[in-house]
Amino acid sequence: MKVTFKDVTMSYDGKTDTLKDLNFTIPDGTLVSLLGPSGGGKTTTLNLISGLLAPTAGQIFFGDTDMTKKDALARKVGMVFQNYSLYPHLSVLDNIAFPLKMAKVSKAERHAKAKDLAKLVHVEDQLDKKPGALSGGQQQRVAIARALAKSPSLLLLDEPLSNLDARLRIEMREEIRRIQRETGVTTIFVTHDQDEALHISDNIMVLANGSIQQFSSPQTLYDQPNNLFVAKFIGEPVINTIPAQALAADLAGIVPEDILKQAETAGIRSEALIPYDAGENVLAKLHGKITQSSKYGREATANITYNGEHLLSTEMAGVSGSQPELDFYLTKSGFFLFDQSGALIFGGESHAE
Amino acid sequence: MAKKLSKVLLYLIVILGAITMLIPFLWMISTSLKTAPETIAVPPIWIPKSLQWGNYIKAWNEAPFGQYFINSIIVTVVTTVGQLFTSILAAFAFARLKFYGKNILFVIFLGTMMIPGEMLIIPNFVTLSHLGLIDHYGALILPWLASFFTVFTLRQTFQSTPDQIYYAAKIDGASDWKYLWQVLVPMSKSTITAVTVLQVIGSWNAFMWPLIVTNSDKMRTLPVGLQAFTTDAGTQYQLLMAASTFVIIPMVILYIFLQKYIIAGISKAGLKG
Repeated sequence: MKVTFKDVTMSYDGKTDTLKDLNFTIPDGTLVSLLGPSGGGKTTTLNLISGLLAPTAGQIFFGDTDMTKKDALARKVGMVFQNYSLYPHLSVLDNIAFPLKMAKVSKAERHAKAKDLAKLVHVEDQLDKKPGALSGGQQQRVAIARALAKSPSLLLLDEPLSNLDARLRIEMREEIRRIQRETGVTTIFVTHDQDEALHISDNIMVLANGSIQQFSSPQTLYDQPNNLFVAKFIGEPVINTIPAQALAADLAGIVPEDILKQAETAGIRSEALIPYDAGENVLAKLHGKITQSSKYGREATANITYNGEHLLSTEMAGVSGSQPELDFYLTKSGFFLFDQSGALIFGGESHAE
Repeated sequence: MAKKLSKVLLYLIVILGAITMLIPFLWMISTSLKTAPETIAVPPIWIPKSLQWGNYIKAWNEAPFGQYFINSIIVTVVTTVGQLFTSILAAFAFARLKFYGKNILFVIFLGTMMIPGEMLIIPNFVTLSHLGLIDHYGALILPWLASFFTVFTLRQTFQSTPDQIYYAAKIDGASDWKYLWQVLVPMSKSTITAVTVLQVIGSWNAFMWPLIVTNSDKMRTLPVGLQAFTTDAGTQYQLLMAASTFVIIPMVILYIFLQKYIIAGISKAGLKG
């Protein structure tokens, strides 16, 4: 089911807007992540979709139907909560079948459906246990099965992986991806973990300060951030940001003069600083000094001092020790200029030739 | 060594407590098997010379205990079930629903808990006699169909249930009514069991109120019926104790059964984090 927000504003206290004039369309059958820092409005957006909250202004459409006035009961969405919220007094089977029981499906039918779903999420051998006897990952799976039980038009997941340990988190996010592909249900996934969002989503919506910073595919988000916030928020290690002024001399004649004049901040991804001339992709040659280098597993990082600014590169592994002072190259991809308001004015694939 | 000693001490205290609790029961059973002179013998006799099992038959025949039993069971079951029903609804309203004047109403109800029960006997009696319910099941049951103590206890439990469970139930298509009976009540099983036990015992043992509002044997309950052994000529302790024994047996059985339930009924889980 396609979800459309039209000028949706949400305020809890009537004074500050948690969400401001949100407009977006989530296409049918896709997996979309809502990503952003805490307090950015992700969970609020999700609860508006689920119907647990009603917007202060604006309209919400499922397909072409206006659902703004419908409550959670009427919207028929499936939802997985951060703490799973399984019913502790019911067995796994009854937990999964609960939404069907509410929909007055016969006992035989709902148990058959619940067993199918248990198979889909791989908990078919736990059916008689109570949620308390399951591990976190298993509870998670049961919660997903329950959310899918009534064949929802939408599957909503509110930070579903945040209570799992690191390894299980990676396993479960692949599982969610698989289940989403197998069922084809439109899925909206809230997370504050960019790694999770980048791996799982067809599209990512970055929410901060109650508005959409960017809504695009994970790769576009990384290669072509709309603004400084997105550039800083996406990417590990965090993008280098230095005053554009520091680069002015080296970029003169390469970047158009009017753009350079407007530029306030330069963003340089750590992999955009390389020790050799890569030809086509190189934007400029810079000169600096390596102050420190370290190696973690397959990653090697070097701290470079350039024009009094600190830069981090992940590509200097070979050269660090012997050559403290060196020429290095700035690539076209991974280099951005932002103006005073933080908007992107140079860089990203569409700008570079 | 010191650890062992403290453990011994602990056990001693616990055993002492247990004996203190058990002595009245043992004395009751012992007395119920004595002859009349033995009951008032000094020094007290613990084990009668010959066990007077006949006391039980005599006691049963002394008064219409069959009728008393039926009355007690009816009153206890109806008041307990009724009170639980009204209390669960009220507790849910106070815990979850939003309505005008909720807090003020709650404080007023809380205030009623400060009024001693004895003060309510006369107004309640007058009200019920106007309703023509004296010496009728109505008088025994009606005043006890609501208990703010039960409401208060349940409200605390309902409030401690995570909001997310409520939202999950909403998303799953449960109305407030279905959420209450299919999720909240089963989840609060241990508290509900506890208030039920308290209410059953209170109702079974009630003496003052049934004594006041009943006149005929047909309406009397067991505790009131025990008065049959106290006459102007004195008290027949061996019969009183025999009757007391069979009066408390249902409670003892119920307690043993429910005690297991209380422990098993503690349901947490379903939530992590």
